[in-house]
Amino acid sequence: MVENSPSPLPERAIYGFVLFLGSQFGFFLYCLWAFVPEDWLHSIGLTYWPQKYWALAMPIYLLVAITVCFILLFGVNMSNTAPLDSVDNITDVYAQGQSTESCRNGGIPRLKDVSISEVNKMFYFSPSM
Amino acid sequence: MEDEAFTDISGKPISLDCQSHSSFCREFIISSPKVSMGKVMVYTCSVWLLAYAVFCFTQNTAVLSGAILVTLVGMMLHIHFVKVDHESLLVIGSLGIQVSSSYASGCEITTFIEMSKIKDIVINEAIYMHQIIYYLCVLLKDPSEPDAVSSVVPLFQSSKPRLNCLVKVYKSCQEILSKCQ
Repeated sequence: MVENSPSPLPERAIYGFVLFLGSQFGFFLYCLWAFVPEDWLHSIGLTYWPQKYWALAMPIYLLVAITVCFILLFGVNMSNTAPLDSVDNITDVYAQGQSTESCRNGGIPRLKDVSISEVNKMFYFSPSM
Repeated sequence: MEDEAFTDISGKPISLDCQSHSSFCREFIISSPKVSMGKVMVYTCSVWLLAYAVFCFTQNTAVLSGAILVTLVGMMLHIHFVKVDHESLLVIGSLGIQVSSSYASGCEITTFIEMSKIKDIVINEAIYMHQIIYYLCVLLKDPSEPDAVSSVVPLFQSSKPRLNCLVKVYKSCQEILSKCQ
């Protein structure tokens, strides 16, 4: 069985280098299209390209979209937080459905969720804390 | 009766008043600071100066009367619906608890929860906006299912006291609840 690990491998280095060369070449082509005047492109025979307006508009749209996504992510997180009067702050389906059998003598007790009432008694009634 | 320096989660001073009416009946009143005249003056003056500046540009007197109306109506709505003067929790053993919050205009909103529906009163920590706060809440149970928490009622929502105040109220409530539930 092949173990999946995130460590560097020779194949991954090759993939990375190919992607790096490809992206540099793609950027060179983009700059070429953006700077060469339309007449020269028409004279070669390349007529069906987007308007030069998009050479500026596309990067700006992309940057604004990324900035808005950051702010939107923060907002989505805050709206997904449970309000103070929700039962999700106290317990959930898994904690309510856990078995309450007692442990065998001398064994390590089973890992389980402690109810909020018990936690409060431990925190606020014992003089040690 | 005692009055240590309690504060709410933002650091504003609040005061806690514990009254013990009998061995099984206690009342806790948390009072927030009153509306300060300085703040009222600052808000009113800024709104009116802004309206006067707009009037100097547009020469429309409706802006001025509009600003006066907005200030008056805004202040009335604020003291009637937003500004809480004090919140109180009355625990009566084996009968129930009564939660009431009274606003600065005198309006009082009261809720009574009977003892058969109350599972426990606990201090819980939860995420509130950008911070984690302690708050006191009543766990309600369905009489048909006495082990499961059916809903949660947070207490002292407008004054949001800090942990030292909550621990005092919690210990006092638990004395009554453990005796008479």
